[in-house]
Amino acid sequence: MTRYDSGKKGPLIEMKGVTKEYHPRKSFFSKAGNKVLALNAINLSIQRGEIFGLVGQSGSGKTTTGRLLVKLEEPTRGKIRLNGERINDLAGEALKNFRSKVQMIFQDPYQSLNPHLSIAETILEPLMVHDIGTRESRRQKVVDILETVGLKPGADYYSRYPHQLSGGQRQRVAIARAIVLEPEFVVADEPTSMLDATIAIQLFRLITRIREQFNMTFLFITHNLAAAKYLCDRVAVIHEGHIVEVNTAENIIKSPEHPYTKKLIQVQPGFRYNR
Amino acid sequence: MKGRLLLNNHYIRRFVKGWEIFIKNPVGKAGILILSVFMVMALASFCLPLLDPMYDPMTGIDPDIILSTPPSISHWLGTDNVGRDILAQLLEGAKVAFIVGLSSAFFSIVLGTVIGMVSGYAGGWVDALLMRMADIIMVMPSLVILLILASLFGQFNIWLIVFIIAILRWPAVSRVIRSQTLSLKQRPFIEASRVAGASHMRIIFRHIMPNVLPLAFLYMTFRVTSAILVEAALSFLGFGDPSQVSWGMMLQWVWKSGHMFQAPYWLIPPGISISLLTLAFYMLGRAMDEVLDPRLRKEGQS
Amino acid sequence: MSLLCVKNLSVGYETKAGLIKAVDNISFDLEKGRPLGFVGESGCGKTTIGMTLMGLLPDNAVLLGGSMEFAGKDLALLSEAQWRAVRGSEVAMIFQAAMNALNPVYRVDDQVKEAIVTHNPDICDSDLNKRVQELFDLVEIPQERIHDYPHEYSGGMKQRVIIAMALACSPDLIVADEPTTALDVIVQDQILKGLKEIQSKFNTGLIFISHDIAVVASVCEDICVMYGGQIVEKGRCKEVFSKPRHPYTKTLLGAYLSLDNEESIVIPEMGEMPDLTMKSGCCRFSVNCTVCSTACRTDRPQWIDISPTHQALCCDEGFIKDKP
Repeated sequence: MTRYDSGKKGPLIEMKGVTKEYHPRKSFFSKAGNKVLALNAINLSIQRGEIFGLVGQSGSGKTTTGRLLVKLEEPTRGKIRLNGERINDLAGEALKNFRSKVQMIFQDPYQSLNPHLSIAETILEPLMVHDIGTRESRRQKVVDILETVGLKPGADYYSRYPHQLSGGQRQRVAIARAIVLEPEFVVADEPTSMLDATIAIQLFRLITRIREQFNMTFLFITHNLAAAKYLCDRVAVIHEGHIVEVNTAENIIKSPEHPYTKKLIQVQPGFRYNR
Repeated sequence: MKGRLLLNNHYIRRFVKGWEIFIKNPVGKAGILILSVFMVMALASFCLPLLDPMYDPMTGIDPDIILSTPPSISHWLGTDNVGRDILAQLLEGAKVAFIVGLSSAFFSIVLGTVIGMVSGYAGGWVDALLMRMADIIMVMPSLVILLILASLFGQFNIWLIVFIIAILRWPAVSRVIRSQTLSLKQRPFIEASRVAGASHMRIIFRHIMPNVLPLAFLYMTFRVTSAILVEAALSFLGFGDPSQVSWGMMLQWVWKSGHMFQAPYWLIPPGISISLLTLAFYMLGRAMDEVLDPRLRKEGQS
Repeated sequence: MSLLCVKNLSVGYETKAGLIKAVDNISFDLEKGRPLGFVGESGCGKTTIGMTLMGLLPDNAVLLGGSMEFAGKDLALLSEAQWRAVRGSEVAMIFQAAMNALNPVYRVDDQVKEAIVTHNPDICDSDLNKRVQELFDLVEIPQERIHDYPHEYSGGMKQRVIIAMALACSPDLIVADEPTTALDVIVQDQILKGLKEIQSKFNTGLIFISHDIAVVASVCEDICVMYGGQIVEKGRCKEVFSKPRHPYTKTLLGAYLSLDNEESIVIPEMGEMPDLTMKSGCCRFSVNCTVCSTACRTDRPQWIDISPTHQALCCDEGFIKDKP
């Protein structure tokens, strides 16, 4: 089921000294205006097959990190490596090849699907762009992947349109689109923050199942520390463009070291209850 | 380019839904009504000369009449100063108005949409260059340009007029399409396509275009009105295509032959027709506006 | 003593698809000094309740029945003119993402002043300024910042201004609809603490609406769990959380992720959205309930007492009263 050699050594993803600055321009001619430092020389490494959590509040730089890893934006400074190879200057065929290995699940299920395209067309797009299979085999792959993400029977959902689906179902379609090429690495940018808790739990279960079935690596970006603890193997806490702590999910809650992490744990609203 | 737009009942369903909203609007109803009348007139223009060659708008001469006469049984709107039937000319003018209006609108929309999408999507110097060109063209007074060209090169063929109107009128469309593209560019589903590896061409024609087309069609209705008016003005001033009978041409003949005040039956029909047809297209545009922009809809319709 | 007494309230929306009953025959009491929370997921009707209590329903909404007894009058019968007198002075609202409700071209203290002057047109300037200072102190915004523009404030500060505006005329009831959803978790903690302090200091009635059960638990004393426009379980928070009885409450608690989850989470099987056009009085949770029988789909659920201060709405009395 995997397309790559999982015997490779070293981390799957490596970020070294990555900085991202934004320069809001005052006008076409001047570059004046304060620069915004979204990421400040961060280092991160993600192992093959793990679900890695990145926890931060708004403005911390967590979304920017995700966008840099899928090359929606480029870092101002620093290196990013996939399987040991630099991805900073990819273009043309090499870039397309990269895109077949790294995919993204977006936050807003109401905006991440083109309303004019059917579910099938949305999921077919990556297959068509990368010229995979024949018309028949592609159709079958779409039906299969729909069932994998829990939309059964796949043939029913094939011709439907996003507006006919609920938020949770749309997000499953977004997941299907992200995994149809069986990429090595998927960035999930707050995939459940716009969904109800009962639906979010089902999607976490789905992501865990997908990781086991395809041996995929995930970066799970969230503002919710409890969700990260539930889903992830290791967790990094990011604050104002700096990674302040990295540890296993259990240890980061049990024995936090950085004061910001401690604060996050302290302010989490909790209560006593039975099931 | 792989993957055609799959035209299936999704588009038909949206069209039907749009139609329902459109037809409830009194302005839309009135516009459609007026337009249908003119469409029937334009189609009738093919039939009339077949009835009797005397009804041909350009060459049809009633053997009994050689000057302008008021309405009568054989000539419902009367005749012009050489005895040609005015109603036949009016019908022919309707046909010409539709052809000129719709074709030049169509070409300016195609041009404006493509340039607007490319400009909005590419950004940077491409965007700057195209929009400066658009600005320059937009400030040019199209009628004056056409008159200058006409006086330099003589009479225009009707298709040349259509073409030049299109060239002078695309900027207005492109601005609107460009800003629509700019806002679409940031939408997550566009970014998702980029991450999937889609080429720029694919994103523009498969994702952006279907979202801007409704707006393009809306603007087409406005282009039609201005094209009809420009052609009428040109013809009236004597620079139109002499082989075509258009309403503007009719007005020119009335004036030139000195019948302005003596023959109201000749003067009024083309004048009213120009006003009504442009009004109808304008009403169409306003009603379409309500279909396209959910915020303008009345309560309980969205 | 009940500050607000709602009986058999039903609210619907007219849409092209017909009448959607967003709130179906709900009844609850708000005790003075005991904040009441409404918790539920999308489509449960909690926001509609908030809007109804403020008379802010949109044009296509219809009050289908019921009464809302508050301070000697029935809010369900008020005209728009009467609402204008009540809104802000007796009942105030804190909206979701309310920081966008601040007008960017006016200074912050001017906007708070406007809220006061609307209901006290004869107030003199010195009293007005004193009141504004009091309010900003109450929400812990430093005095030197009160003359700023909204864009100079952080999200948390803007929300505090909104709370100050809600308190401006010392209302007897505050309705807070997801007041901290758009905020950082650290800021949220500050706001919730502040809200609790203010509520206990002035003994204001507080209705707190949220999808986040933990937030409701940290602020409220009493809770109503909502599903599909119906209240399915209500009572004192302590009791509801220690002995949840309704299958939906159990599902909701089961899906809650906390930092110290030692047990495994129960993954709910829920897939269907609630049917809001269902006949009045039927159990709307039956489409998703794992323990319901066919009888549940047609029978009318009744309020079953688990204790004098804890009830659940269900067709199956035996199920509710048994130990789980």
